[in-house]
Amino acid sequence: MIKSRENILNTDKFFTFESFGVVIRIGATISKHSEKFKQMLKLALPENFKLVDNQISAEHTFFIEYTSAKILKMFQNGEYIKEADSELRFFNYLESVVRLTVGEHAKAKLFLHAGVVAINGRALIIPAKSFRGKTTLVKELVLRGAVYYSDEYAILDENGLVYPFPKTLSVRGITDEYQQLEVSVESLGGKAGSGPCPVGMVLITEYSADAVWQPQRLSAGAGIMEIIPHTLAIRKQTKFALQVLKNLASRAIICKSSRGEACDFAEKIIEFFEENA
Amino acid sequence: MNKTQIPMARKDGLVVQEMPDELLVYDLDTNKAHCLNQTALNVWKACDGKNNIADLARMYGSGNEDLIWLAIDQLNENDLLEKESELDFNGRTRRDLIKKVGFASVIALPVVASLTAPSSILAVGSCACTANSDCVAGTPNANAGCPTGSCGATACVA
Repeated sequence: MIKSRENILNTDKFFTFESFGVVIRIGATISKHSEKFKQMLKLALPENFKLVDNQISAEHTFFIEYTSAKILKMFQNGEYIKEADSELRFFNYLESVVRLTVGEHAKAKLFLHAGVVAINGRALIIPAKSFRGKTTLVKELVLRGAVYYSDEYAILDENGLVYPFPKTLSVRGITDEYQQLEVSVESLGGKAGSGPCPVGMVLITEYSADAVWQPQRLSAGAGIMEIIPHTLAIRKQTKFALQVLKNLASRAIICKSSRGEACDFAEKIIEFFEENA
Repeated sequence: MNKTQIPMARKDGLVVQEMPDELLVYDLDTNKAHCLNQTALNVWKACDGKNNIADLARMYGSGNEDLIWLAIDQLNENDLLEKESELDFNGRTRRDLIKKVGFASVIALPVVASLTAPSSILAVGSCACTANSDCVAGTPNANAGCPTGSCGATACVA
C-alpha cells in the first residue's frame, strides 16, 4: 500500500497532468491501470488534459492499488477512499472523483454541475444532479438545433461567460435503462460549441410525471440559492464562486419550473428561451 | 429591558455578496448559504453595535417594532448575530406576529432563506457503488455519495 506522495514518486507507474490550472499526479501498482486511466482522462477532460513533467509538484495525488485478492483500492492524497472488485465501476468512480477535484480547485473557472447548450448565440444552463435527466434534455435540445456545450459541467469565467466542455454525451437508455454509453454530438446530427458564450438563461428544472410547464423568473438572490447546490467550488473557493454567480445573475435571467418528458418539453424550453433570454 | 438590547451583526467567518435588493451570506463555519431580502438585510446592516431594538424600530416608523423582532428572530436562528438576542414577542406566537405585521405593514416581511452547501461527493457523476454487492435492484443503498439512495441493476437511480 502506497500512502505518501514520496512513495508515489518512487514508482515509475505514474503520470502527472494539468487541467484548468490544477496539477494532479496519478499512480498505480500496475502500469496498465495508470495507462488505462490516462486514456480515460483524456476523454473525460476534453481539451483540458495536459501531461506535465513528473517533477512538477502536484496539488493532489491519486493512487490505484491492485491487491493480491484482485481488489482495486483508491487513495486520494494518501487517504483510502474506496475499493471495488469491478474494474469498470472502479475507474468510472475514480474518473468522477478526479473530475470533481479539478472542478473544485480549478483556477479562474467555476464549475457548475449542469447541462449547457447555446441558442442563437446565447447559452442556456440547466443545473442538475446526476440521474435527473440532464443528458436526455441536452440531447433533445441538440436534436432541435441547439449547439452543444456540455452534458455535465457549465464552466464559467469570472465574467460569467460559459465555455464548452465538449465531452461525449453520456446517454442512458440505448441498450438498457442503466447502461451509460458515450455518444458524440456529431453522431446525433448536432454541433458542438467552440468558444466562450454569454449566458442568456439558467433554468432550474426537474422531471416530474405530472409536471406543468410554468416557468417563473427568480430574483438574483433566490436564483443563486438554487445554483449553489450545483456549484463545485462553493466550499473550497467561496468568495470567487459567489462573485462569479453574482456576475452570472446580473447578465442572465434565472427561471424555475418542473417539466415532463424531455422530448415533449424541449420545444417549449427553446420557445421560452427565445422569447425571454 | 429587551428593547435596550444592542444586537451586533456577525462579521467573522462569513463571505458576503451584495446583490440589488438582496444579500447573500455564506457561513464558512457551517457551509450554509443565506439569502436576506431587503428588510432582513436592512435590519442586519443596522445591527452595528450602537443601535438597540428601539432604535432599529424607529428606522421603520412607529408600530414596526414587531417587524424588527421577526428579523432578529431569523438572524438569531441563522447565527448571523454575534450574540443571540433575547426575543420579546410580548406573549404572542411567531405566527401571530407574522399575521399582524403582514397585514399592517407596507414593508415586506423579513426573510432569510437558507441552505447547506453539499459536500462534493454528492455531485459525483456516477454511483458510489463500486462492488456488485453494493448495488441491488430496488433496495435502498446506504453508501455515502449515492445520489438517489436507491439502486438499479448497475447504478443508483431516481
